[in-house]
Amino acid sequence: MSDTNNDIVLEMKGIHKSFGKLEVLKGINMDVMRGEVVAVIGPSGGGKSTLLRCATTLETVEKGKIVIGGDVLCDDVNGRAVYCDKKLEKEIRSKFGLVFQNFNLFPHFSVRRNITEALIHVHKKSKEEANAICDELLSKMDLVAKADSYPCNLSGGQQQRVSIARALATNPEIIFFDEPTSALDPELTKGVLKVIKELAKEKMTMVIVTHEMSFARDVADKIVFMDGGVIVEEGPAYDLVTNPQQERTKAFLAGY
Amino acid sequence: MEMLKSTIIQLGQGFGYTFGIFFFTVVFSIPLGLLVARGRMSKLLVVSAIFRVYISILRGTPLMLQLLLVYFGPYYIFGVNLGSIQIGPFNYRFIATIIAFSLNYAAYFAEIFRGGIQSMAKGQYEAATVLGFSKMQTYFKIILPQVVKRVLPSVSNEIITLVKDTSLAQVLSVAEMFTNAKAAAAAQVSVVPFIVVGAFYYIMNLTVETILNRVEKSMSYYS
Repeated sequence: MSDTNNDIVLEMKGIHKSFGKLEVLKGINMDVMRGEVVAVIGPSGGGKSTLLRCATTLETVEKGKIVIGGDVLCDDVNGRAVYCDKKLEKEIRSKFGLVFQNFNLFPHFSVRRNITEALIHVHKKSKEEANAICDELLSKMDLVAKADSYPCNLSGGQQQRVSIARALATNPEIIFFDEPTSALDPELTKGVLKVIKELAKEKMTMVIVTHEMSFARDVADKIVFMDGGVIVEEGPAYDLVTNPQQERTKAFLAGY
Repeated sequence: MEMLKSTIIQLGQGFGYTFGIFFFTVVFSIPLGLLVARGRMSKLLVVSAIFRVYISILRGTPLMLQLLLVYFGPYYIFGVNLGSIQIGPFNYRFIATIIAFSLNYAAYFAEIFRGGIQSMAKGQYEAATVLGFSKMQTYFKIILPQVVKRVLPSVSNEIITLVKDTSLAQVLSVAEMFTNAKAAAAAQVSVVPFIVVGAFYYIMNLTVETILNRVEKSMSYYS
């Protein structure tokens, strides 16, 4: 289960998000404690990815409050979300990392530069410092030999591990994964899941949108089941997978 | 033989102008094209409409006409006499040529750049955003270098066309190669100057092509 201390890294309260007339998130509440691993599961179109995109500033919400690492990204004022200024937003962005489904590595940069570019030009680290951080991460990802390769010469699994390293490089307080293995075959999936498992052991705070049920059950502290823009059920990972309470959850899990 | 030699010398003298038109047009029209592309993609409807019209007119009318308008326009329309302007070794004739060429080619480049920029995956912007890159950093470090690679074949096409289009400057009596070739052909009552000038253009384009191929190759380390 989650850490006993009350240190909340991510707080989302009453999140509403629509695309035109389509309401995708209908009042989501979610807290993530430091060191906690939360898996978000559910059918496609249920709002999982949108929730992640809202938390990572890629989408703006209409209503609700989002707090990351103690900084208020947006707050609910008279039923409308009001966002912080650009400066704080930039600061908040340095507190989280995001790993995309299709990696989104920069193809014209080497593996090393993919990882160090933001360190040097956003976080103003020296080249030596950035390289040291990069080397450490690459050895953790088992990719030392690939430092000077370009993304196009890597397998999907290797690319995803580079993108995890890129997200970790800035030492974020929380990492979001948006279906990190959905673009990979089962063989490559293993390597990526192994890396995420290791991060969980190191008590990295993570929110993982995933379709890997057994992985969610084994690695996550908590699972959130989303469908139709609401959280249908949430609870300790093992309990939710083995003994779901809601009919909708049961039906969904029966498919696995 | 003596005739051929004098023809080559005469065309060689014109080459300076030809190369000048080519060089300055490339230097000015590419950045201008980037700006026009951005304007064309503006979310402000008024701005994008203005650039849409600009592109439409510059691409839709003859470059030769544009040359004449830029050169004669200021005097005939506004009564301003720019004929005496001289910037370094360049007289107004030459300057007007560069202006018209740059405005015209910028319109073509703008559409090529727009295509390149719009072909970039949204994920590249998103990855850059969450990593904390500013809009400028994202544009210059992440987007533009990839766009350059994508548009290079089309840009090469335009640049090669430009080499040949420089001959249009003859309508303003700029003493570039083609103007000289025509004069030589008339004086010698011979087609030899035309054949020689053709060889000049071809060699120039062969060089341009070789350079552009090298540039393209230098960016082939990723796909």
